[in-house]
Amino acid sequence: MKYRITHTTTYNYSQAVGLCQNQARLQPRNFWRQYCGHSHFEIEPTPKDYRELLDYFGNRLAYFAIQQPHKQLVVTAISEVSLFPGRQRHELLPQSTWQQVRDYFQESSGQELSKQQTQALLEARQYILDSPMVTATPDLADYARPSFQADRPLLEVVTDLMQRIYSDFTYDPASTTIATPLLEVLAQRRGVCQDFAHLAIGCLRSFGIPARYVSGYLETVPALGKPRLVGVDASHAWFAVYIPDIGWLDFDPTNNKMPHDQHITLAWGRDYADVTPLKGIAFGGGQHSLSVSVDVLRLHSAVS
Amino acid sequence: MHSSPIELANDIGVQFYETRLGVYDEMVATEHKVLPYWQDFINALETMGSEEIERRRREAQRLLRENGVTYNVYGDTQKLTRPWRLDPIPLLISNEEWAVIDAGLKQRAMLLDFILKDIYGEQALLKKGLLPAELIFAHQGFLHPCRGTLQNQPIDLTLYSANLVRGDKGRFWVLDDRTQAPSGSGYALENRTVMTRVLPDILRDIQVHRLSSFFKGLGKGLANIALHNKDNPRVVVLTPGPFNETYFEHAYLASYLGYTLVQGDDLTVRDGHVWLKSLEGLQHVDVILRRVDDSFCDPLELRIDSRLGVTGLLEAVRRGNVAIANPLGSSVLENPGLLAFLPKLARYFLSEELILPSVATWWCGQPRERDFVLQNLDKLDIKQINRRQDNGFLAGNSLSAAQKEALKAAIIAKPHLYVGQEQVSPATVPAFISHRIQPRTAVLRSFVVANGDGYLVMPGGLTRVAQDKDDVAVSNQAGGISKDTWVLASEATNPGPPKPQLLRTPPNRVPVLDAITEPLTSRAADHLFWVGRYLERTEAVARLLRTVLLKYQDMLEFKDTVDSTALAALLHSLTHVTMTYPGFVSSHPDCLEQPQNELLSLAKDSHRAGSLAANIHAFVQSAYNIRDLWSQDTWRSVDNIQYRWNLRVVNGEIVIEQLQSYLDDLITGVVAFSGLTSETMTRESGWLMLGSGRRLERALALISLLRATLVQRYDAAVQNQVLEAVLFSTDSLIIYQRRYRSFIELSAVLELLLLDESHPRSVTYQLRLLAEHISALPRERGQRKLSEEERLIIKAYTDLRLGNVVDLLKVDDDEGIYPHLERLLADTTKLLWGVADTIARAYFSHSQTSQLMTANTIPEDEL
Repeated sequence: MKYRITHTTTYNYSQAVGLCQNQARLQPRNFWRQYCGHSHFEIEPTPKDYRELLDYFGNRLAYFAIQQPHKQLVVTAISEVSLFPGRQRHELLPQSTWQQVRDYFQESSGQELSKQQTQALLEARQYILDSPMVTATPDLADYARPSFQADRPLLEVVTDLMQRIYSDFTYDPASTTIATPLLEVLAQRRGVCQDFAHLAIGCLRSFGIPARYVSGYLETVPALGKPRLVGVDASHAWFAVYIPDIGWLDFDPTNNKMPHDQHITLAWGRDYADVTPLKGIAFGGGQHSLSVSVDVLRLHSAVS
Repeated sequence: MHSSPIELANDIGVQFYETRLGVYDEMVATEHKVLPYWQDFINALETMGSEEIERRRREAQRLLRENGVTYNVYGDTQKLTRPWRLDPIPLLISNEEWAVIDAGLKQRAMLLDFILKDIYGEQALLKKGLLPAELIFAHQGFLHPCRGTLQNQPIDLTLYSANLVRGDKGRFWVLDDRTQAPSGSGYALENRTVMTRVLPDILRDIQVHRLSSFFKGLGKGLANIALHNKDNPRVVVLTPGPFNETYFEHAYLASYLGYTLVQGDDLTVRDGHVWLKSLEGLQHVDVILRRVDDSFCDPLELRIDSRLGVTGLLEAVRRGNVAIANPLGSSVLENPGLLAFLPKLARYFLSEELILPSVATWWCGQPRERDFVLQNLDKLDIKQINRRQDNGFLAGNSLSAAQKEALKAAIIAKPHLYVGQEQVSPATVPAFISHRIQPRTAVLRSFVVANGDGYLVMPGGLTRVAQDKDDVAVSNQAGGISKDTWVLASEATNPGPPKPQLLRTPPNRVPVLDAITEPLTSRAADHLFWVGRYLERTEAVARLLRTVLLKYQDMLEFKDTVDSTALAALLHSLTHVTMTYPGFVSSHPDCLEQPQNELLSLAKDSHRAGSLAANIHAFVQSAYNIRDLWSQDTWRSVDNIQYRWNLRVVNGEIVIEQLQSYLDDLITGVVAFSGLTSETMTRESGWLMLGSGRRLERALALISLLRATLVQRYDAAVQNQVLEAVLFSTDSLIIYQRRYRSFIELSAVLELLLLDESHPRSVTYQLRLLAEHISALPRERGQRKLSEEERLIIKAYTDLRLGNVVDLLKVDDDEGIYPHLERLLADTTKLLWGVADTIARAYFSHSQTSQLMTANTIPEDEL
């Protein structure tokens, strides 16, 4: 499956901005399920200072600064991504229970690890801990508990948790903002994909299971007989769980499915704060308004 | 008094010195006998006697206050600064004992540097299990964007500080390590400076290691880490600002070391480099001595809500374009959980045992340690690994049963966030309290700086003692007392008598280059401008108030209607000049007949905008913002103005009759400040800004006075009184009488106060100087056109010069005012306001606000 993603963000200011510095995580990263063969930015006005690097979590990060006065900034990221679905048959592998996974991390704390375990486990370990936007709490644990039956395989636990979030929570863009605390989302039973991902992550961490946040896109399939509209797609977010001997598995609680061939990954981190697609600080500018358009275009299908 | 001379000499109470059972004491150890190395000092004190020591203690407090040494107290809504307190009895440490501390601190600093490099580098300690990952990852000081940003310096941890206590066996322990932005070295230096003033005789006889070598080392150490311009790097001190608790020290060190003191928005990042926004344009910054917590240093990559940082700073660091001491991320080493692992890490990195042990610490992230802590809660102090605002630890034995259960539950829920620590009973030191020597708990903060490939330890430090006898904890926030720390020199290393310290020039600069002046930041320019304005406002109000009081006395004495009409005019003008409406302009008749309360309020009510007290406060605040720019003498004159006014007027029980002489004194104080600045400031941007503020404000105040008093037409008798008062208020009565030798005429007064270019109290004189200052201010090169502020001031100046008194006083008989005069004064005021605005826009670029933009594009996903 191959896609071209065009993601455009436009800022308009009421007064000139003299200087702005930005960080963009808008270029898809590579991993076993995904390969990004080409990706570039078109930025207007052209930044005098532009640099690409990898962040702490291995995501692709672009830093750029506009140093001349401007009243509009347009940032467009264009990427071509191939997905290789179904390479892993995780259901055939031996299944660890969630208690085994939890104990595994607790007991290996502070011990010397073998070479191949080292990096992956060390990375996984940070996803058990609280992060800026996700704090494990008794309330989250209470909500999650029905899924965490004794000796249940972790894969089943997570699938059940995803299913419960999907059916218990109402998708409602008007209900939350970036700043809505997780406990409020839990109390209201409403939110958006970002909230559902954070919620699942918080539930898993409350039981000592490593879980991380994934930002990306979802291909929109037009209803039968309707033409495909350009630019109506959107950013999306879901979560992933670390299962020893298997690795990271993705789950999309907003759609109650495991990402397969329509989820394009941009970046991952402990929560949204680690992977904000585009953030910047502008000096001056007065009032600003913002518009975003995302287009996920399927180039050709590998399977059908 | 019945005491014999011998008893008098022994009145400091050494014989009654009662230490606590089982607690080591610095002076008498555990034996209740003065230790040999204290003997000379105690003898000297006994000879001096308690009265004399108390006198010197007060002298020390006076010097500290005058030098503006303060420690701001957090959470103080009044934003009050607390005077620094210094005990005249230092902590004495023998040379032999210091050698151990010195080696121990160097070893610890080296070890922490290794750990820092690893955590932000390859993380081998985590991979090898030498440090548990949770301990690091869960600590707020671990800033993941900083990984890979250390610049391969031989030493990355430039500054290090440790709080030391002596335990009951007399051994020194490390309470905690400070690596974020260690404070206190400046206070230690100031303490020593003051001690040299108040105990010169004792310091001459007892050989004490000097501190200046440490500060030379600090200067060299900071120059060393520069990645560019190594020969002559520009170093700035980054402060959170005057409300920070240790702001005094930031200003003090900047001034002492010859660096520019900056706040976050004085700096900007362009092309991946850090630049200082100065009046002369952008200046490259090579090294930042950071006193802002690291997570606040860059809103783009660290805390997005920070207003104290520099956007893009971390990216500049990443590219190797600026060096920061300490590097961003170094607060990860302040994690108390690390203490439990240091012995193992010392063996791993250095193959050594720790010379200075840490207070025994159990990190609850390990099951065995957690269980130990839970079982021994009563005997331990419990801390969170993340330092909290309340700065607290919980003493297990002070908790109620319910609190204990809550704490246990919290530990069990997230054990990796807690440590248990042994409760230490710190040694006591002798302190001079209530005319007696008494034992008090003490903590010694030591200071270490990287100096090339090794570390240099300050021979001394900042000792703080608890205020009350039974306090075991010591904190500045709670009002502790500080002490100088004397490391005694052995005979062999006799350092000689203390010399006055002369270290005002940056140590690494070639003498030829010393003529370089540090650039003036736009923030400093802003504050200088306002210092000038508030100064003139203060003087104008003080003079007018004094004039009004004189008139008021006249009226009480002679009960003449002419006097009372003139007084009413003056009272009105006082309200206009201070803009404290309704005041005397109010229609209520009482306010003119019983003006005392309103007059006193204008003098002492510091919460009332426009009052003298408020103006003085604003003047001192502006000056304090740029504390580093003032000479010692100049600052003392600033302090005196506020100190006396607060003492006598604001907080004093004064009656109106006393105000007169206090106003005289205030005016003398203001003049002293003006004189000192004009005698000590070089005629550069800073002077021009101060001068511009003064001239602008003096002109505005004068115009306001003239509008309130001269535009109105009066009977000849009243007119005469009003004119005389105006001349007196503007310090121009004598010159008028010398020049005109006649009855006071309105036209002549206008000539003198409005139009006379040679009279330093005239409006035209102010405008001429203001025009000169403005044209001398630095501006963008190649700009040939007049700037906006130049245009405005030239217009104001020219309009005045074209005015003549005859035209200005033309009037129709039925009019109560002089309309031409009023128009000229009003127009000039408007132009001057324009000048103030355009200066602010053109030069105070730091005030531009920033905003965060995030594209949050989540909410539209398809279901």
